[in-house]
Amino acid sequence: MTANSTKPHRPAVRLENLDKYYGTFHALRKVNLSVERGERIVVCGPSGSGKSTMIRCINRLEQHNGGKITVLGTELNDDVANIEGIRREVGMVFQHFNLFPHMTVMENCMIAPMIVRKRPRAEAEATARQYLQKVRIPEQAMKFPGQLSGGQQQRVAIARALCMRPQVMLFDEPTSALDPEMISEVLDVMVTLASEGMTMICVTHEMGFARRVADRVIFMDGGEIVEEAPPEEFFTASRNERTRQFLSQVLGH
Amino acid sequence: MVSLLRNQKVRNALLQVLYVGSLAALVLAGIVIARRNLAEQGITSGFDFLYKSTGWDVNFSLLPATANDPYWWFFLIGIINTLFLGSVGLVLATLVGTIVGLARTSSNELAQLLGRTYVDIFRNIPLILQVFFWYAIITHLPTPRAAHEALGMFLTSRGLYVPFPNVGGIAFAAAILAVIAAIALPIWIGRTSRLSQPFGERLGIQLAAAATALTTAAVILALGRLPDLPLLDFPALQGLNLKGGLRIPPEFSALAIAIAIYGGSYIAEIVRGGFKAVGKGQMEAALSLGLSPWRVFTLVRLPLALRAMLPILANQYVWLMKATTMGIAVGFTDFFMIVALTINHSGQTLEAIGILMAGFLAINLSLAAVFNRINKAIALKGNQLRG
Repeated sequence: MTANSTKPHRPAVRLENLDKYYGTFHALRKVNLSVERGERIVVCGPSGSGKSTMIRCINRLEQHNGGKITVLGTELNDDVANIEGIRREVGMVFQHFNLFPHMTVMENCMIAPMIVRKRPRAEAEATARQYLQKVRIPEQAMKFPGQLSGGQQQRVAIARALCMRPQVMLFDEPTSALDPEMISEVLDVMVTLASEGMTMICVTHEMGFARRVADRVIFMDGGEIVEEAPPEEFFTASRNERTRQFLSQVLGH
Repeated sequence: MVSLLRNQKVRNALLQVLYVGSLAALVLAGIVIARRNLAEQGITSGFDFLYKSTGWDVNFSLLPATANDPYWWFFLIGIINTLFLGSVGLVLATLVGTIVGLARTSSNELAQLLGRTYVDIFRNIPLILQVFFWYAIITHLPTPRAAHEALGMFLTSRGLYVPFPNVGGIAFAAAILAVIAAIALPIWIGRTSRLSQPFGERLGIQLAAAATALTTAAVILALGRLPDLPLLDFPALQGLNLKGGLRIPPEFSALAIAIAIYGGSYIAEIVRGGFKAVGKGQMEAALSLGLSPWRVFTLVRLPLALRAMLPILANQYVWLMKATTMGIAVGFTDFFMIVALTINHSGQTLEAIGILMAGFLAINLSLAAVFNRINKAIALKGNQLRG
């Protein structure tokens, strides 16, 4: 899983003809996507279009039924060590934060580095402090998640994922469960992360964020990637009828 | 005046006075009637009978007991028997419940089916029938002469004979305390050293503490052994009966098995509910960090499930503690049976029932207090949002 970039063209994440069914419901239809290292992708689309399913397939929170997923040069298969190996390198941030409520903020950030990466406690603690500083809540380290606001919890969740020093970050609607005044504090952290060259795939409806940081915006509908374009083109010159309809609803008010 | 009666505060105060007044009247009337009836029947009330000898015997006791012992000593025996039966029953019920509950939450369909069948059967048969059922089975086991031996133990129709250390009473009690310490110390160390020590180092200290306590227990047993006897007393056939070791009577085994199996079916549902209450999101987050399924279980799922289970579990334990009073159905001399016998022999009904109620209140209130403390100590801090 180590990233020795001897080969010039090895994308960070590559999806080929990805198929996913929930029973008889065809959630992903032959999705193809290649994400380069350092690239920032924003995925949008109406609810039920398969955005979350797609990124959850990348770290095997959902099992795909057909096609191929390659993460950092390794193909995702059924081998447990392979799955855990890929998860080590791919951080994920969830809509509902999903912090461990029985651990302090600090413990939330230290547990995976210590147990998965076998880092000594002192090092894990230093790493945790470093990333809590980065998401601008070092003073909350000894509190429990339930004592923090939604925006603070989401920033802890980002720090927790970063403490594993992942090479790819997945964001699954990170601001959808937040009050409006807390959205910007989370987006600011994400913008900083993007500016530092992190490979990011973000499912979000924050179109301002997409405009600011995305290299490419992907529009999904009905389990398919309908349109894929750089943000300025996507927002101003979309050729697709469904994209234009979606944009008018998201940006219309 | 009318406006005063319509005042909310005045109304509430009046209601309180009425309520307390009628309650006091009720209690007073009860005492007066009881005293008159007792006087008519020529029964002297009071607790003097506690110091008289009983004149009857008990069939199972962890303390030495003869018919010459006073009533208060028999009450103590009863309470200890109840606590012994209760603790064995609760521990076994928890074991059974955890296994069945985990089977019901597992992804294996056969395990689910077995777990569900178990709960459906044993939760819906009255406890007393189950006690009779196990008692019938145990009393139809082979006689001591025909019994098979395994690991120095005999399972017979007269009870289970197990090896028992030839150790003085005080040393035995001290050794039990040391064993309890061996379990409790590591837990206590785990709680007090949240972040001050690395995980590995903490585990080392915990193991060292447990080992020290267990060694202490062994030393106490070795020092406290009775002279000129082997350390362990093995049961052996002598004539028609088995001699030596400790006999666990069929009444006790039947009750312990029934409580374990019946209580286990309820605890299984509590365990299942606890695991269902853990948000899927927390487990996904743990998996997404690369933690193995086993680590996700021990670090996230189990600790959160335990927090959801504990309050209901405490309730169930109090309930099962009271279920030990089934002892009277098969003749196990638990606290309730001792009280019943006392009433028969001494006629001191009110006093004996008073002691019974006070005893059970003390047992169950202490149990509830312990659980409330644990509950409070591990409660999740702040507001919880379900993901």
